[in-house]
Order: sequence, then C-alpha cells, then structure tokens
Amino acid sequence: MKERWCKSGLPLIAGATLMVSSAFAQSVDTARIENGGQNDWLTYHGSYKSYHYSPLAQINANNIGNLNVAWTHIPGRSTRGLQSMPLAADGVLYYSGSYSRVFALNGATGEVIWSHFPELDEALISRQTHSPYNRGVALGEGKVFVGTMDGRVLGLDMKSGKVLWETRLIDSQKLTVGFTGAPLYAKGTVIIGAQGGEWPGRGPIFGLDATTGKKKWEFLTVAGTDEAMKTWGNDSWRTGGGGGWMPGTYDSETNTILWGTANPAPLYDWSGADYKTQGARPGDNLYTSSVIGLDVDTGRLKFHHQELPHDAWDFDSAVGEFVMLERDGQKFVVHPNKGGFVFVYDRNLAVKNVWRLVENINFVKDIDPKTGALIGRRDFSAGKVTEPPLCPFIGGGVSWNAGSYNPKTGLYYKIGQEWCMTLDVQKTTPVTAPQVQLNIGADFKMVPPPGGEIYGHLDARDPITGAKKWEVRYPEPPLGSVLSTAGNLVFVPDSRGILHAYDAETGAELWSHNNGTGHQGGIVSYSVNGKQYIAVAAGFGGMLADEYAPNFGGVYKSMPRDDGALVVFSLK
Amino acid sequence: MLRDVALQDMELDTLNLHLKKITALLSAVLGASLLYAAPVQAQSATPVPDNGTFDVEQLFAGTCGFCHSAGGRAAGKGPQLMNSPRADDFLHTRIKNGKSGAMPAFGGAFTDAQIDQIVKYIRALKPREG
Ligand code: HEC
Repeated sequence: MKERWCKSGLPLIAGATLMVSSAFAQSVDTARIENGGQNDWLTYHGSYKSYHYSPLAQINANNIGNLNVAWTHIPGRSTRGLQSMPLAADGVLYYSGSYSRVFALNGATGEVIWSHFPELDEALISRQTHSPYNRGVALGEGKVFVGTMDGRVLGLDMKSGKVLWETRLIDSQKLTVGFTGAPLYAKGTVIIGAQGGEWPGRGPIFGLDATTGKKKWEFLTVAGTDEAMKTWGNDSWRTGGGGGWMPGTYDSETNTILWGTANPAPLYDWSGADYKTQGARPGDNLYTSSVIGLDVDTGRLKFHHQELPHDAWDFDSAVGEFVMLERDGQKFVVHPNKGGFVFVYDRNLAVKNVWRLVENINFVKDIDPKTGALIGRRDFSAGKVTEPPLCPFIGGGVSWNAGSYNPKTGLYYKIGQEWCMTLDVQKTTPVTAPQVQLNIGADFKMVPPPGGEIYGHLDARDPITGAKKWEVRYPEPPLGSVLSTAGNLVFVPDSRGILHAYDAETGAELWSHNNGTGHQGGIVSYSVNGKQYIAVAAGFGGMLADEYAPNFGGVYKSMPRDDGALVVFSLK
Repeated sequence: MLRDVALQDMELDTLNLHLKKITALLSAVLGASLLYAAPVQAQSATPVPDNGTFDVEQLFAGTCGFCHSAGGRAAGKGPQLMNSPRADDFLHTRIKNGKSGAMPAFGGAFTDAQIDQIVKYIRALKPREG
C-alpha cells in the first residue's frame, strides 16, 4: 500500500490542526451525527434523518445576490465526473473523487490538509463499466471511511490520512464489481453495499467494525434468507444481481439500518405475465428492488418491503434517501423509488402511502397507496416494446442523487425525470455462474414520452401526501443532489452546469451561477468560524450523463466527462 | 464447472500474463454454455456466425447494447456502430482494449477470433424494421 502525500501537506497539517484542534477533541460519533450539528455535514444524507438540509441561515433569500465563489479544488483524474457528497466536520471538508481519491481540505480556504490516493489495479478498472467514480466517504471515531472499485474498504486517520486499516470484501477480479457508494457510519459499525444490479452476483451489504475494520456481518440482497431463496426459480439466485450501492440510514430507536436495494439481473426479463414460473429468474426475486431493515449489530433482516416484486424494468430501490418525519404523533419514513413513485412507510417499513412524483409512468397502471401492491404490471415477452414505449427511461423517474426536506417549509424538494425508452427484449442464454459481463437482456433507446417532450422538474411537495406546492422545469433532467437551507433557499445544480437558488416557499429563482460543467454529485452547507459556505461537486459523466450528448446535443456535445471541480461559495 | 475454472484463473494477479490461457478457456466455455442454450428467437440481421456458437446478437442484448443503443444501431452512451466509418482494425482494437472512462476492455473476455466475429456482426447491422 503506497501512500502519496502532497508535497506541501506537512506544514498545512500543522496549521490546520491548530485551527481546529479544539474541535478534533470532539470525535464524530453516532449521537453527533444523529443531532446533525448546525455547522457540520457529518454523513452522506446530512444526518440520520436524511434531510439534506442545513439549519444555517447566514446565506438567505435576502442576501443571496452577494454569493460568490470562495475557493475551488481540482481533484484531478475525474473520470466519469465528480459524483461525491462532501462532508464537513469542525471546519474541515472531506470528500472523494474518481479512483477513490480522498481529500481533507481547510473548509474556509480550500488548502489541502492531506490526501490519499489508493493504488488500484488499472487493468481491472479498464474492464469495469460503472467505474471509477466514487460517491463519498463516511466519518466516525476519528476516521474517514471509503470504498474502492476493487472491493476494499479503507479506514483513514481523520487527521493525517494515514491508512489505519484496510479490508477486502469483494473478489472484484472475479465479479468485476466493487464499491462506488459512500459508506454509512453508525454505532461503531461501517456499513457499505456492493454494486450489483447488472452483474450476475448476489449483491452483498457489509457491516464492519469501525475500530479494526474486521467484517462483522454480510447480508446478501439476493436470496439472503431461506424465504427469499424460494423466490428465485431455476438456480437464478446464483447470479441474481441486487446490491445496495447507495448509503441508507440508521434508526437509533429500533437499532436498525434502513437500506435500499438494487435490481435483479438480467434487467429485462422475457417471462411475460408468467414471471412467477417462467423467464430468466422466475419468482419475486427477494430482496432486490426492496427496502430492508437490518439489525446494525448483526446484519439480521428485521423487516422489508419489496417495492417492485420481480422488477422487470430496472426501477430499483437503490436510492439511499430515507427521510425520517413525524406528523400528528406518527413517525414516517419517505423513500423514492427509481420508477418515479415515492413510498411512505412507518418505521418498520409498512406501507402508509404511495404517491407519484413523475407524470410519465406506464410500467404499472398504478401502485395501491394502501398496500403498495402493483396494479396493472407490464411484463414483456421477447420482442419489441414500442407501443407505447416504456416509461420512464432506464435512467428512472428519479435518479440516485438525493432530494431535500426542509423542516421550516415542511416541503420535500425532489427532482423528477420525464423520459421513455423503446426496447427489444431478448430471450438470452440463462446465466448460471458469475461472469465478467453485464447482464441486461434487451437492446434499448431513449425516446420522448408519448405526445410530449423530455424534461426534468424540481417539485416542492408535501412529503407524506405528495400534494404539490410548486414546480420548476428544466429542458434536460438535472442529475445532482438538492440542498435546502434555513435561509429559505433551495439549491439545484443542473446538468448544463448552472447552480440555481430558489425561494423555498415560492420557487422563484433568486440567483444562479455557471460552474462551467454539468453537475452529477452532491451539495452541502457548513460553517467555519462563523461563516457559512455552500460546497457543490461539478463534473459530468457516468452511465446516465453519457446519454446527454447524443440525445440532447447543445452544450453536452463539448462537455467533458473526465473532469471536475469542487466549487465552494460564500457571501462577499 | 469449466467457467469457474476460467474465472479462478482470472483471479491470479496479473491478467496479462494469463491472457492467452484465459481467452482459450473462455472461448471453450462460451461455446459450451451456448450449446445447452435455447435457440435464439429474435430475428437476426446478421449472417450465421462462423463457428455457429458465438452469438453476437445475444452479446449485444446482454452487454454491448447497454451503451450502444438499439443493439448498435443508434448513438447512446457509446457511438452508433451501424455504418461506422472506422476501419475494422480500429473497431477490433477498441473492443479489445476499451477506452478509459468510456468503453470497457473486452480483451480478457473474448479471443481475437471472436472479436473479429463481433466486427463482422457490426458491419452487417441494418436498421430494424417497424
Ligand atoms: C459502458 C458503456 C459501453 C459498453 C458496455 C460497451 N461500449 Fe463500446 N463504446 C463505448 C463508448 C463510450 C465508445 C466510444 C469511445 C471513444 O470515446 O472513442 C465505444 C466505442 C466502441 C467501438 C468503436 C466505435 C467507434 O466508432 O469509435 C466499438 C466497435 C465498440 N464500442 C463495440 C462494443 C462492443 C462489441 C461491446 C460489447 C462487447 C461494447 N462496445 C460495450 C461504450 C461502451
């Protein structure tokens, strides 16, 4: 294990340590993340409540005209863009770039405190498709945790970047997949889910001891219990896909990790309506396209809801948002599904409501809001699917980036995507052993919704009922995360490269700034020495972004897909 | 199973060292697995492959079509392959070595002969009717 140090890093470490020394005395732990401190952004979703909301109000609807770039940081080698969610603790900003490069920066100036570039097998990376981007790190117990494309998780010293432990969890040489998602830290445990979906594996989620890096448990999202095994006919569980590649959250009241799981493989099945007994993977295919509750200490499955039984459309549940709300004495968890529906659960993942974020949906006629049952499924046989095309497109009605819930307005701000696809479903050879290739099961192409145009929208809605207050439209779906703040602001980093700020109550645009390249990552707010900052990842690329140039032309034709910058704003 | 043997080989440290052996094994494996496979139903725009076992149309539906839309007939994440102005050698090398951050390398999965078959398939691509 070779570590590369910034030449100028050492004096900076001394300086920065002085500046934040009092804060370092206070380690990041479960209680601190739960409370989601005013000045910090301690975990991927902001806090375990998953609000992607900052209680800071120094930057607000009245003074946003004075918002300017404070500093930028270029991580280098941003192959497939910069997709990560920065974190901030005690004045230091931590974030990751492609190839799992990790940086600790002075949050006020952007000066590099330390960096760590893990050594990776380039030959393996060159065989991978959903690679080498990285979507973020986790903090806890004085460490920074990050996953790698070759199936490892590293525990780095928060002060120096030194590798304290390293654990190999997946045989990526064999399965091709690794880790791109951020880990979650909770109660002495680091939880991380593998890529899966398109690849014929079993999509494990792991719990590691945060102190030693030792594996505590592993949960297989494909046939992880005896009950689930019965839902995969003809040995299809061996190569069922699954995975859980976005971080979920932790419910301390029930000691449970809530996690969303990815789709089964092949993505598109030729079974037709007889999917329980026919096709590439006969049965419901538990626990793919599901939300699951795992005991944080043991990884034991406590409860689950399969959002799409036998998902035949790649509209999985891998989105990591579990928005924890309370209303009229009842506790709710809100989780968007890639198909464009938003599910509302109680804390044990029993369905309380289901509402539509997206207009163009026809993979089902509807989903029963009382039970979550799919009504009027479209199951394909081998052959063309054109009349009507399948809606939404494989990119989903929602993508994996997060929305934001603002407790001051009571509104949930979430991006919806309106697009469809034609398909030619193929009766492919049954795949019974993990192999190095993807396992899609169809040819496809993006098309506009019947009688309409492709577009994206930011909706401001009641998170429980789905009642819409306002909407802003974009010619192409934005793919980055959304941030809202106590300054009555909502920030949307769009695909063309514009960062927009809206009035959180009305949706009126108040400010915008061109970051020079499309966004497909995170956005957070934090404060250092009484000054508020907004940090956003700019840098386009990856599976969905790659569809933009051929389908939309315009600015996307010349937009790099191997570049990126962290851009940080403050008031003048 | 034979395929497992091939994959264990791939776990060995340097892929390149073992490339020859692996590709030989994999081609045997692909051949074998396709022998027990159900015949392909979808109508094919391609000539019958040389060895009668390596099914490129299935390969596109399983892997390549994820990026080369409509089975290579339209631009998607990757370029349209039908009517490509590129030389055969270029297509062959791109499939074998890939391109960083854009196209995966398939040199470890297919033999040169199989890649030639893929190129032949690409050359024969025609617009789909309907
Ligand atoms: C992850 C997406 C992806 C997958 C999967 C993929 N390709 Fe590609 N392919 C690309 C991209 C992107 C390019 C363009 C590379 C460049 O920038 O020159 C490309 C280029 C090519 C080219 C060269 C065409 C040209 O005009 O430059 C060929 C031939 C090709 N791919 C064949 C295949 C085959 C055969 C497969 C399946 C075995 C496959 N590809 C799988 C993304 C992909």
